[in-house]
Order: sequence, then structure tokens, then C-alpha cells
Amino acid sequence: MSRRSHNKSHIRAILLALVAVPVLFVMCAALQVRIDAETRSMNQGNEELLVRSGWLLKNLSLGYEPLLADIYWTRVVQYYGARARKPGATYESLWPLLDITTTLDPKLMIAYRFGAVFLSERPPVGPGRADLAVDLVKRGIAENPDEWRLYQDLGFLYSIRLKDYQKASDAYLEGSKNPHAQIWMKVMAARVAESGNALETSRLIWMEVYANTKDELIRRRAAQQIRALDAALGLKKLNESSEDYWRKFGSFPTSMQELRDAGLVGGALQDPEGYPYVMGPNGVPQLNPKSPIVLDPDQGPNKLR
Amino acid sequence: MSMIPGVVAINTFREAVRDRVLYNLIFFALMMIGAAILVGQISIGIERMVIVNLGLSAISAIGIIMAIFIGVGLVYKEMEKRTLYSLLSKPIRRWEFLVGKFGGLLLTLVVNTSLMTLGLGAALYFVSGKFERTDATILVAVYFILLELALVTALALFFSCFTSPMLSTLYTLGIYVAGVFAPGIQGVSQFTQNWALRAITRFIYYVLPNFHDFGVIAAAAHGDRVPLALIWHNTLYAALYVALILAGASAVFSGRNLK
Repeated sequence: MSRRSHNKSHIRAILLALVAVPVLFVMCAALQVRIDAETRSMNQGNEELLVRSGWLLKNLSLGYEPLLADIYWTRVVQYYGARARKPGATYESLWPLLDITTTLDPKLMIAYRFGAVFLSERPPVGPGRADLAVDLVKRGIAENPDEWRLYQDLGFLYSIRLKDYQKASDAYLEGSKNPHAQIWMKVMAARVAESGNALETSRLIWMEVYANTKDELIRRRAAQQIRALDAALGLKKLNESSEDYWRKFGSFPTSMQELRDAGLVGGALQDPEGYPYVMGPNGVPQLNPKSPIVLDPDQGPNKLR
Repeated sequence: MSMIPGVVAINTFREAVRDRVLYNLIFFALMMIGAAILVGQISIGIERMVIVNLGLSAISAIGIIMAIFIGVGLVYKEMEKRTLYSLLSKPIRRWEFLVGKFGGLLLTLVVNTSLMTLGLGAALYFVSGKFERTDATILVAVYFILLELALVTALALFFSCFTSPMLSTLYTLGIYVAGVFAPGIQGVSQFTQNWALRAITRFIYYVLPNFHDFGVIAAAAHGDRVPLALIWHNTLYAALYVALILAGASAVFSGRNLK
């Protein structure tokens, strides 16, 4: 082939590629969107975790267990993130995934801390396995005895999830012995032992969780819980005012306005999301049905009286 | 229509056969015979599933190895042996040569994969004594493996146009592995709060060839149906992507100074 015709064919090939490659890329991407929709429906309910033994994976990883742990950690976040708050979501693989991750890398602190919060969450937010979360955190403490924050997580699990305030106090106290531990660990130990069941104590615990994590999912969850506890505290105060009203007038108020008119409450009577509280039957204040706040079952209006 | 790509393809296939590439079938046959005999002893109740999983995984792995290792040498070898110069002195366009090479290796892989599928069918019949309607999904899985091999071959050929076989192997393997983990990349884009990272991972997800979607081995082992739409879309996707890579390869190869 002559040089001239070769140059000509080269220019033609370049021009063709310049036009065809971007067009084909766009077509492939558009097609990928449709394939994603098909494979999503195919993969629903097909969430098998074939190898559930962290020990086996560790032995098969040929020395790459830290890398494999990172990959599994990514899977944990994606697995949980894909399900969180979805109606009917189940979390069967959350524990095995966390178990494998921490077996592959026992120093991966974030996995223990994530597990403490989300493994213990009740459905639909988590699998409600506080027992497994305690096991996980205890394993973390055994592997990382210098990490005082794991004692904070253990205290959190015992007080918030398992309502075992003595064990919670012990955990905070044990953690506070670490020279690097924050001073509030001691305060928390005393507070939980004294009034573990109080909403104010729960709020304090969640505030510390919020302040001491870098994980965005945990942070968001802690912020939600703090808002829910603030709402519960608001309801509690309103309920006290409602009882004062009953003592004064011999009947319960039927609306918030009646409470306000009686001079028993003032200011904006709304939850942290900005939705006004409403008066329920028998003068029991409730969250506005439109409010996105979800109260813990043992903090709801039925627990007020 | 030009016959040249077909002629090049036939010659590439012949060359592969001469190079004893199909000898891998002996390894596959021995593995399937061994598995069929052993599986009955060690895996009660899931013999059929084990055979399907093992057979399809082996077909895929052997195919990928062949596609990469033969593909990266397709153009490079011709240049090394200087046979390319005499070929291109004839009225053959460079893109025709590339398409022919691609077709030849694909033909080799199709023959190889078909023979392995027959072996898998024989092992399956030996283990369960019959074929079921749901076994049709195995053929879909094999078809998807072939689509995957076509993409890998095109990638290997693309890299072999401008770099050494060693680097081509690394690049092709790298893209293949990244493509298999495509859902992980998409997962990052879905859950990250960082918009820049989200944009980058989304872009990578759509630009990378998605090899994950060709994996229906688990569905075949469980006898699950694969939607017709997915077969059609995967076919179209592979065809478009192969066209894209070959267009790029032609542009690169046509600019190479072969003196």
C-alpha cells in the first residue's frame, strides 16, 4: 500500500474512531442501565454468602487478608446501606460479613463499632441481634485491649439495647481505666448506674456516640436517635403539663391550645423536625402523624402514663 | 463485502489448532471425569449443582486464559515474525486484518467452548442419568461465557496493537477483574456522600465493560430461568462493546509505523 493511501486510511480510521467510540460508549451505558434493572430483579432474594467461615477465608487469602478484610468491609457497608429502612428488609448476612471482616483483620476498629450500632438495631433498621453485637465488641476488646472506645460501645449496648445498667456501668468504668480514655467515661459509669433508664441518660450516650465516630452511617443514625429522644423528652414535659391541667381543672386537655390558654406551656410546641405535637386521647400528647421521627417502642406515648 | 477478514480468521484458527491450543480439552475432560466420579461420593444431594458449577467455572476460566494469552500475541507475534509486513503489502486493510484476527480467535474459543460444553453435558448425564428442562439455563450460561470471551479477546487484541504481550496481559486482566467487580464500583457511587467521588465512580462504572452481568453460573446451577430480555441486552451490549474496542484498535493500529 502506498504511503499516501496509508495516510488516507489512517485518517479515515481515526475519524471513524472519534465518532464511533463516544457514540458506542453512550449506547453501552444506556444499555447498562436496562441490564441493571433486569439483574436487580433477578438478584432479589439471592444474597447467598457462600463462604461464611472467616478462618477458612483467612487461610485461603495467601497473606492478603488485610486487603480481603477491606473488601469485606466495603461489602458490609453496601449490604447494610442497600437495606436500611427498606420495608421487609432482612439482614441475615450482616453478622457473617462482620464476623469475616473482623477475623480477617482483627484491628479493623470501624467494623466493631459499626457492628455495635447496626447489628443491635431492631427491625426494620437492623437484625436486632444485640447478643451478637456484644460478642463482636467483646472480641474486639480481646484483640485491641487498648481501645477504650470499644468499652464505650459495650456500655452503649448494655444500657441502650439490653437495659442491663449494672453491666453497662461496669463497661464504662473498665474503659475509663485506660489512660487515653475521655473523662466522661467515668461520668457515664456513674450516671448509668444511677439512672440508666432515664431518657436524658440515653440522650447523653447517643451524643457521645455521635461525637466519637467518623462513620457517616453511625453519625446519621445517632443524630436520628438524638432527635427521637428530644421528641420523647418534649412529649414527657407536655404530659406533665397535661397532668397539671387535670389536677387544676379536673379533666384532660383536648388540644394543645387548651394547655397554652391555661398558661401551662409556652413557646413553639413542636418536635425537632418542626412538626407540632398533637393531643391524643385522655390528654396524652403525641407526635404529629406527619412527623418523620420514629420513637423507640419504650419511649412512645403509651409509656407516658 | 470483503472476504479478507474471513480468510484471516480461518488462518488464525488453523494456526491456533496447529499450536495445540485445543489440548486444554484433555485437561478439562480429565477434570470432568474425575469430578463426576468423585462428586457422588462427597457431595450428597448437590451432585448436579457441583458438576454445573465446576464445569461452567472451568469453561469460563480456561476460556479467559486462552483469550488473554493468545489474544495479546495476535498482532505482536505477526510483527515479531515479520509476517505482518508481507501480509500488509497485499491489498489488505489494517482493520480487516484486525477483524480477521479477532474472528479467528473467537472461532477457536467457540469450538473449544462447544467441546467443553459437550463434556459438561456428558458428566451431567453420568451423574443425574437424565437431562431436565431447566438445564437449558446451562446453555445460556455458556452463551454468556462466549460473550464475555468475545469482549476479553477484543480487549487483548486492542492492547496488543500498541504494547508488549506482558503489558497487554496485565492491562486486559486488570480491566477484566475491574469489570467483574463493577457492582462494587457502582456501590461506592451509591453510598458515598462525596459528589466528586460519586461522579467519578459512576463514570467508571459505565465506561468499564461490565463482566459481572455475564455471570449466571449460580442461576444455571440452581436451574433458575434467565430473562429473555437479559439475553438480548447482554448480546447487544457485548456486540456494541466489541465494535467500540475494535474501532479503537483499528484507529491505533492504522497509525502504527511498521517500518
